[in-house]
Amino acid sequence: MNGRLPLIVNTKCECGHQNPVGTVLCEACGKPLLDDPESGETLEMRYDGMARRSQKADPDVIDRVWNFFSSVKIAIYLIVLTLLGSTLGTIFPQESTFLNIDPSTYYEQRYGTAGEIYYRLGLSHTYESWWFITLLVMIGASLVICSLDRVLPLYKALSRQKIRKHRRFLTRQKVVLVTMVAEDPEVWTARAVQPLKKQGYRVFTDGGALLAEKHRFSRWGPYVIHIGLIVFLLAVLARGLPGLNMDQHLAFPQGDLIHIPDTSYYLKNEKFTVEFYSDEEMPEEFRGKKVLPKLYETKAVLYECTEDCGDPSKEPKLTKVASHPIQVNDPLSYKGMKAYQFDYDLTPVLRSVTPKLVNSRTGDSYGAFKLEMKNPQRSFSAGPYTLELKEKYMEFGLNEAGQPISKSPYPNSPAFLFLIKGPNLPAGGEQYFYFPKQNDKAEFQQDAINDKLGGAGRFLELEVGDMSGVDFSESTSYLNIRVDRAMPFVWIGAGIVMLGLVLGFYWQHRRIWLIVEGGELTLGGHTNKNWFGFRREVSFFLNKMDITADEKSLDNGGGQA
Amino acid sequence: MNLLKFSNDVFIAAFFLYSIAFMLFTIAIMGRKWSGRKPEEHTARWGKIAFITSSLGLLCHLAYFFTRWAGGGHIPVSNMYEFMSFLSMMVMVAFTVIFSIYRKILLGLFSVPISIIVMAYAAVFPQEVQPLIPSLRSIYLNIHVTLAALGESFFAVGFAAGLMYLLRTVNFKSSSKSDKRQQRGVEFTLFTIIVIIGFLASVFAFRGAGYETVFIRSNVTVDNPGQNDSTIEKVSYKMPPLVAPYHSEIESFQSFFGIKEPLFEAPFWMKGVNAGRKLNTVLWSLLSGAVLYGVLRLIVRKPLGKALQPALDGIDESDLDEITYRAIAIGFPIFTLGALIFAMIWAQVAWGRFWGWDPKEVWALVTWLFYSAYLHLRLARGWQGHKSAWLAVLGFLVVMFTLVGVNLVIAGLHSYAGTD
Repeated sequence: MNGRLPLIVNTKCECGHQNPVGTVLCEACGKPLLDDPESGETLEMRYDGMARRSQKADPDVIDRVWNFFSSVKIAIYLIVLTLLGSTLGTIFPQESTFLNIDPSTYYEQRYGTAGEIYYRLGLSHTYESWWFITLLVMIGASLVICSLDRVLPLYKALSRQKIRKHRRFLTRQKVVLVTMVAEDPEVWTARAVQPLKKQGYRVFTDGGALLAEKHRFSRWGPYVIHIGLIVFLLAVLARGLPGLNMDQHLAFPQGDLIHIPDTSYYLKNEKFTVEFYSDEEMPEEFRGKKVLPKLYETKAVLYECTEDCGDPSKEPKLTKVASHPIQVNDPLSYKGMKAYQFDYDLTPVLRSVTPKLVNSRTGDSYGAFKLEMKNPQRSFSAGPYTLELKEKYMEFGLNEAGQPISKSPYPNSPAFLFLIKGPNLPAGGEQYFYFPKQNDKAEFQQDAINDKLGGAGRFLELEVGDMSGVDFSESTSYLNIRVDRAMPFVWIGAGIVMLGLVLGFYWQHRRIWLIVEGGELTLGGHTNKNWFGFRREVSFFLNKMDITADEKSLDNGGGQA
Repeated sequence: MNLLKFSNDVFIAAFFLYSIAFMLFTIAIMGRKWSGRKPEEHTARWGKIAFITSSLGLLCHLAYFFTRWAGGGHIPVSNMYEFMSFLSMMVMVAFTVIFSIYRKILLGLFSVPISIIVMAYAAVFPQEVQPLIPSLRSIYLNIHVTLAALGESFFAVGFAAGLMYLLRTVNFKSSSKSDKRQQRGVEFTLFTIIVIIGFLASVFAFRGAGYETVFIRSNVTVDNPGQNDSTIEKVSYKMPPLVAPYHSEIESFQSFFGIKEPLFEAPFWMKGVNAGRKLNTVLWSLLSGAVLYGVLRLIVRKPLGKALQPALDGIDESDLDEITYRAIAIGFPIFTLGALIFAMIWAQVAWGRFWGWDPKEVWALVTWLFYSAYLHLRLARGWQGHKSAWLAVLGFLVVMFTLVGVNLVIAGLHSYAGTD
């Protein structure tokens, strides 16, 4: 854009003003400095013809980096590359859309060779890849430098405008009128002030010269947008910092108080509800064919631990801090932490059983005790007997060596190993395996195991009489617990972008220059957008001044931005 | 339910009024050379009648929208039928706004048909009022979807004006390399529009005839050694199957033109049964589009672009250039607010993350980046005229891919919008 300049240029304008290298239009009078005086082409009015930092005569390394990022051409390349790069990530689903897959085999199995290539190119995680992040960072750099390189010269130019401009500056604008006026220059100019003011212009006069200007703030629109985008990008980067971000998916069985890891909060799912639309609420075409969910709701209560939090030997002291019916579009929110409805499971989950210790020979009962699945007591007593809990398995299974293990921390098939001591038992006590669920008892052969452990003389059994001895939570709600301390800045950034867009696109900076000299009126006009509306406005003004000028006749050609 | 019935009736009324308005716009522009009056007078007079008709259509369309809202209990933008109907309405709103600024009758000739096509496309989808699933029950459904559609509608008007600019200025007589390329570009754009019309024609023709053929396919998957799981998938074709799903069997077949079985089978990499059906739809659209295009070529006996050019005689091309830019400049902030910012706010409220690189999100971003590039090229690099017009045309293609293509080709979180 800034053509090749000779090494030494005389940048002093005929009006006496000394301009920096790279200036296109004299900073003071607006006379075109660079091109042929006879040229009739419309002027390039970008940044009002000011020199920019990136146009320094002999650049060093920093200048070269600056020049690179200050180029709009580079910015456009970056935008287009980001655009193309983003589309690549939508060819196949990204890894992040799945919770449990092994990407190294998944893509090949699901999509064949194309999937394999996709994975190997790293496109299965496009948006986390180094080149994509680099593009975003470069866009950020470009936003900062492009803006600084232009906004400062533009600000200077606009804040020290001269009213009287060089005639050639006026006649080479895109809106031009040259016509005869009989009146005295100063009288005519003075008469022009009122109608222009009525059209919302701020008017300045200097003898027979006049400058009318409005909505200059619209010129800052693009820079405001860029500032907003920078804030936005920085906020997004900040989300990656430790401590600002938490994201975990937790299961909350109905009625259970669950500690949220890494926080001092506990959350209780008091009631989970799923509702479906009734037939009356559905269109006829769907009745009896489709089931549509209407509501997922978790009545949640949030507690904060105030004392004895880290001490496993003491019960933590909890205070209720918030409660909220969590729905899909309505999370619980407390001091920056949010709980979102994520998923649910209607399979009942065993919470506790209350078995009785009985003598299988006589049928005598020695008493019952409550056995919690989570954090059970270590020892129980039933009549003359004591039961010491040796091991517990939440999801019972056997490993490759045949040893009992717990396959998961969820009480899907719980099992407990007790050491029972008391009358008629060996001095060291007797080991006893207990499966609270009936089907587990059969599947894992509780009796056979115990026969092995206790021998043939075994006479004690743990039994649950009826369903009153079993406590289930009916369902489980899965909540997504999040903290995102950078979010306010994301929204502030987005808000600034919007403000800039509105300023820049829905208003236009319009200027009209007039010189009346020797019975001749020369009018030049410039707007940064919407020439159609501007010509209409100028024509309206001229009509008020008793000069008929058709909107089209004001058009001095040239492109329109 | 009476409200909903009324709603459907005014929807159809709107469709017919738009169609009549389109004809009137055609008369206003094409008829000016034949009528006895002065051309400007003729255009102004008929243009006014056409605009009044299209405005009446818009009123009916608005009536459809609000009665459906009242009758259905939620804002009607929650499935593909409702969204496309809404989009076509917004195209008319954007047209009305731009028209009232620039008063170019010709704009109607190109914007109104876009609205008609989008409206017809809406009617492809099931029309019953569906109750909202929990994730859609939010005030942001009202804000996000409507603003995004409004922004996109301004892009649609920008597309119309850009295409008009090209038809007006591309030199159809020249055989220089760049002119040839532009001629082909214009012709291809027109052909694409005709293929879409071909798609709509085939859908409605076969639907009217009540056509249906059903394929089944049993999939056997081996989960554990010795344990086979088999599932049976069924797909119903509403258009005669030129192509059957990969590895499928016919359950019931309705013959057409004496053909008793599908002509060929979808390639192996089209795995889902629906992929075959979609391919079949594409083939029918291309086929009927090609036939329609061929017939039009036979009638006018020259490229369609060349045939349309005289209609634009005497239109100021720099006005068209400005309208293109202006429509996009008005639409861009609205699109940003609706399709990105409110989308992020809603995503944050519903899913706990404001951005998740879901295909629909990515394509909204791609659209935004595309129009940002357009604005930078125009404002800072001086891309005007042809280049700018081509970008406006291409940009709308990106918009349509985001709205329709993503749902058809790529599934994602927005899949409830359904395109079957």
